Order: sequence, then C-alpha cells, then structure tokens
Amino acid sequence: MSCHGTAQNPVLSRSGEAALAPLPLLRVLLVGGPNVGKSTLFNALTGSRQHTTNAPGTTVELATGTWRTAAGDPAGAAVEREIIDLPGTYSLLARSSDEQVTTDALWELARISRQTSAHPGVVVVVLDATALARSLYLLAQVAETGVPIVVALTMLDLATTATDSPLAREDPETLAGALATTLGIPVVRMDARNRTAGGVSELAGAVDAVAELPLCVRGIAPSTSSFCYGAPGAALRQYDAPHDDLESELEHAEALFDWVEHVDEQVNSCLALPLPRLLPESEPRRLRRTFSDRVDTVLLNPWAGIPVFLAVVWLLFELTTRFAAPLQSAINQLVNGPLAAAVTWLLGLLGLGDSWVQGLLVDGLLVGVGTVLTFLPVMAVMFAALGVLEDSGYLARAAFVADRAMRSLGLDGRALLPLIVGFGCNLPALAATRTLPRARQRLLTGMLIPLTSCSARLTVYVLMASAFFPDHAGTVIFAMYLTSVLLVLGGGLLLRRTAFRDVHAGPFMLVLPQYQRPHLRTLAMSVRLRVGSFVVRAGKIIVLTMVIVWALMAVPVSGQHSVGHVPVTDSLYYSVASGIAPMLAPAGFGNDHAAAALMTGFVAKEVVVGSFAQSYAVAEPGSPTRAESLGERLRTSFAESSGGHGGAAALAFMVFLLAYTPCVAALAEQRRLFGWRPTVSALTAQLAGAWLLAVLVFQVGSRL
Amino acid sequence: MTLPESPLGAELRVTGLRLAAADAFRLGEMGIRLGTLAHVTQHAAFGGRVIAVAGSRFALDGGTAALIDVEPVERLG
Repeated sequence: MSCHGTAQNPVLSRSGEAALAPLPLLRVLLVGGPNVGKSTLFNALTGSRQHTTNAPGTTVELATGTWRTAAGDPAGAAVEREIIDLPGTYSLLARSSDEQVTTDALWELARISRQTSAHPGVVVVVLDATALARSLYLLAQVAETGVPIVVALTMLDLATTATDSPLAREDPETLAGALATTLGIPVVRMDARNRTAGGVSELAGAVDAVAELPLCVRGIAPSTSSFCYGAPGAALRQYDAPHDDLESELEHAEALFDWVEHVDEQVNSCLALPLPRLLPESEPRRLRRTFSDRVDTVLLNPWAGIPVFLAVVWLLFELTTRFAAPLQSAINQLVNGPLAAAVTWLLGLLGLGDSWVQGLLVDGLLVGVGTVLTFLPVMAVMFAALGVLEDSGYLARAAFVADRAMRSLGLDGRALLPLIVGFGCNLPALAATRTLPRARQRLLTGMLIPLTSCSARLTVYVLMASAFFPDHAGTVIFAMYLTSVLLVLGGGLLLRRTAFRDVHAGPFMLVLPQYQRPHLRTLAMSVRLRVGSFVVRAGKIIVLTMVIVWALMAVPVSGQHSVGHVPVTDSLYYSVASGIAPMLAPAGFGNDHAAAALMTGFVAKEVVVGSFAQSYAVAEPGSPTRAESLGERLRTSFAESSGGHGGAAALAFMVFLLAYTPCVAALAEQRRLFGWRPTVSALTAQLAGAWLLAVLVFQVGSRL
Repeated sequence: MTLPESPLGAELRVTGLRLAAADAFRLGEMGIRLGTLAHVTQHAAFGGRVIAVAGSRFALDGGTAALIDVEPVERLG
C-alpha cells in the first residue's frame, strides 16, 4: 500500500467530475466523542445559519444548521447542506438517551440510504488526534452502519505539540495523509478555530464527493446491503438493537480494537515510526507532565479543588445577579419609559389613546416583550460564562470535583453548578442544565431548580419576616434558605425513588480535555444561538402570559367600569383570586389579598410586594411609615384568615411562595428545554407540594 | 494493589477491572483495558484519581479507582 496520498485523495481523485454536478440538500451528521472539537467545527461550518431543536420525542437538544459553500460550477451558485451536530459519544452502544440519539440518527441515515438510490447524507466523524485509538474505535462502529463517511481530524495542534503525545513533533499533513491512505476514506485536517486556514473548503469537497461515491472504511465490514464501494462483506451489527449480551459485545469490541491496532501499525509504517505509537501500550516509560497536568495539581488538588470550584460558582452567581442587574434595569427603563411613551404617543395620533387597545399594546404586549428583553443580559452572561468554562476545559474538572456532593441524588457533579446559580435566578440556572451530559439528569436537575430560592423571593421574605417577626426577621429569612436546601435534597431523593428511578450515579469516568484558551468567535456564536433560542421559544410563552394577565386585569366584573379602566378589586383577575382563596384556607392565608399576590407571583416574584400594596390600596413600602402601614394590613388580614395565628400563616405563605412555580419565564424555559409534558407535570407537582407543605407548616405552627 | 494505593507518577499496568461488566466494558471502549499502561497524574478529593493513558487524562472517582487493580511496570535496563 502506498503511503504517499494526500488526505483527500481516495475520493477526490475519483469523483472530481461528479462533485461538479448539482447536489440536492445533503444531510451531514457530525459525530465524535465529547470534547473533540465537534461543536467548534459545527460553528465554523454554519456561522450564523444555525438553530437548536430537540431530537424528536426526546429532551436532547440538537444544533442544526445550514452549511453553505460556493460551488465549483461556472454559475457560482452556492451549495447548501443541512448539518446536525449530534451528541458526543465514545461508543454507539448507547448508555444514555443522548448517546441513543446519535446511534439512532446514524442508523436512520443508513436505513434511508439503503432504501433509495440517492445518498441522502454523509457522516463526518471527528477524530481527536490526541486520542486516536479511542476515536478510531468509534469510527469503526460508525463504519459498520454502512453510511458514507468523511473523517475530520481535529486537535492536531495539541497532538503535535503536547509533550507526552504519541504524535508529538509529527507533521500534521503527513499524519492526515497516512490516515487517509490506511482508512481508504477522505481524511481532512481541520483547524476549526481558524476558518480561513481550517480546511473547511476541503471538507466540503470531500463530503460532496463521498455523497456521490461512498467508500467503505478499509477492514470494516458494513451492515448488510450497504451501498458503499468496496464493502468486504456483510456484518451482523445493529447498534440500534438491544445490546444485552455483553459477552458477545466484548468479543466484537475486541475485534474492533484489533482493527484499531492494525490501523495504528499501518499509519506507523507510513510515518516510519517505531511500533506501536497510537495505542495505550505506547505510553512512554516516564510521564512527561503537560501544562494541563500542572494546572490540575491546583484545580484538582484534594484541598484546593473544592474551594476553587466554589469560587467559580460564586463568580457565576455574581455575574448573573450583580453584573447583569444594571443592564436589566436599563432595558426595563427603556421599555417602560421612552418606548412605552412612544407607542402611547403613536396610538394617540391614531385616535386610540387611552383605549383598551393602548392597554393591550402597552400594558400587555410591551410589558411582555420588556420582560423577555430584561432577561437577555442574564441569559447572555450565563451562556457566555458556561461557554468559557466548557471551552477552557474547566467544566469537566468541575464535574469531577463536585461529583461526590451530587452522588446521593444520582446526579453528575456538574448539576451542583446550576443548583447554586438558582439561588440567584432560576432562569439562567435552568439554562445551565445543558452542561449535563445526560437528558434524564438534565430533567431531574431542571425539576429541582425551581426549589432553589431565587433572589426575587427575598423581597417577599423581607416584607413578611419584618411584618410578622420583626425581632427575628434575619433568622426567619435564613430558615427560608435552609428550607430551600432541604427541599432540593428531599425533592431530589423523592424523585429518584419515584419518577426518576432510572437515574443513578454510575462510576465517574471522564476524559479530561486539555486546557485551552476559549475562542471568542465560537463563543459569541454559541451565545447568540442560545439566546436566540430563548427569545423565540420561551419568549413567546412569556409574552402570551403577560397579555393574558393584562386581559384578566382589564376586564371588569361588576359592569360599572369599562374594559381597561378597572380598579384591581373589580377585575376578573381579583375575582379569580377570590375563587382560589378558599383553597388556601387550610394553610391559614385564605384571603383575597394573599391569593392575588400568589397569582401575581406566578408571573414574577418581584411584583408580589407590589401586588400586596396594590390590593391593600396602599403604596409600596418606600418609607418607614408606609411600610408599617402595609405590614399592619398584612398582620390584620392574615390574623383574620388564620383564626388569630397570623405568624404561622405568614410562615406557611413564605413556604408556599418558595415551593410553587418560580415565575412564568422559568416555566417557559422549562418548556423550551424539556417540552410541555414534563413542564406541566412539574407545575402540578410544585403547586400540590407547595400547598401540602404550607398546610403542614400552618397546622403545626398554629398548634405550638 | 489498586489505583488509589499507587504513587503519583509511577508507571502501572492494569491487571484487574472489578467494576460491573457494563462499566468495565465502557471503560474498555474509552481506552482502559486489561494490560493498559497508565500513570497516576493527580490525587483528587475523596480518593479520586487522574490517570494518563496514551496521552489522554482520565478522571475516575474514588469508588471506581478502588476497583481497578494495577501493578508496577518493571522494565529491563
């Protein structure tokens, strides 16, 4: 076998003519292990033409985009391909729903390809040059499905510069050529961080060529009826079938490991290296410590690792609260100030001033849009911070450091991060669940986050504790945070024994990526993609809810007022609250004011104090005198509704406030991440749980 | 001896994987199998270990590391 081919030669030289022919919209699947640079490559290929979606029937998020390149034909028309970034996996023998999505997608492509004469898709397998043996094993499994394959070789810069890499000081182009020759399929050397020099056009050429004339990976028998050229024979593997027979799997895996070893030998002979070089046995006798090893002596140190992790989480907490707060405030002022004034002025010109249309547009729609916009800074900050942690390589270390803490809940160590961030704001915390590698763990964490007491709830605690327990307000507030932690732990244990019995903390086995400097362009694109997804998918629900709330507030019950000009107590909103109030009586706060405040709290906890003030027809506490007035009213109505046990009723109210739905934005984000069914189930469970806890607190408290 | 009992930096050979079969299988797919050569590069909290295998670094929790048997590699010369 000749070793002198260039990386793309196996296909490009044979199908250059075919590559000029117009192609249909080709589907390209990106497959690779975790942290091999797959998402960086996806961003480089799609640019801004990408969006996120959930895999059908799952809560597994997929990034999908359009990969456009200039065609080689004289007309110069662009060629477009649909590209999907599949979840990272070490193996097609899936151990999680995320990995199953990858396996299913590959098998589906193989099935469709067999049923049609055309080749509807190509799989780009991303090989990590720093861990070729592991990557080649996955490539072998993909090849067995019989789909057309192109290899994208990444991390070459790290592999050829790391002091302990088997490929250290090897010429990247030579290595890619040697691999292409050995594998018999195109191997494109990628530097996705550098779009101009990164091999994007070469990859496009290889993908289009392979779509026209698929080749098989040398030495791998693809599935029955595979269409690829040069198939050595039919294989019996079906990775989408149940794989309970571990003995048989092990036997087959050994055959694949042998193939990997064979590839290693072939590549080494091409590179004229002493054998073997790529496999585990190639580990040098004396370990040469890398830069990452030296950093890890601090970041993973038994004593320093946990404080560093907590410091990182604290920083995230600060960024999503204090840093984002001024931006949120500025947006809020802009929307409710000049923008609202401009819309009002415009409506006045159209003769609609002071009408219900103005109320709908300004107090409903614009308030809804403003709410979505005010969340943008906090979401952008969270996504950017997570991106930095992920791209730098620290997130994998964080999972390792916090693993022990989350093990009792059956969660990955990374779950601790969003749970702590939830004490600042639940919304970015929910967004942060995306860093968890398994869908069921993401869902469980997403169900627990609403139980973390966000800072918006603090304003209500302060009001209630000051009004009912003026001498022990601090202790009461501290007790609420303690209750929140206990609810997360108790809720987690309860869910693990009921709806999440399948979630368990298996052995922690993770390949640690090397530390890298995050790439700003990739980071910016990732933030834009995720913030865009939030605006489009969660924003719609938030705006719609705000409009519904406005409608309830604008419609009079008595008929003595016109639509849009209704005192709160005559509104449909207040009427609904009055209907709910009796249900809250067992918890001691079955009064209209508390029910209306909790309904408002469903929209946002920040406005609960304002709702109390509005319904008691007093101003919000701006001065000590006015605060006293609101506190006095609260004490009176809670004492009336609780039979003289106002303190117990106030505690029960705070517990209810802590345990029920955090806000409509969090609900919309849950729906975006997990779908309607889990969101509605969670909403029901939160309301039922909050009611039970509040009743328990009041019934016990009123008897003490 | 087991991984947590191994000194930092020593060259080791994996001689036993006493994990559940499915876990040992996945570990094998990731690159840690019987006979694999490794170095312990970092001791982490709660018995966790980071080991170097063929240029990669694997993080293993304390419980898992304790189920991996290793022996020191003795080389001639």
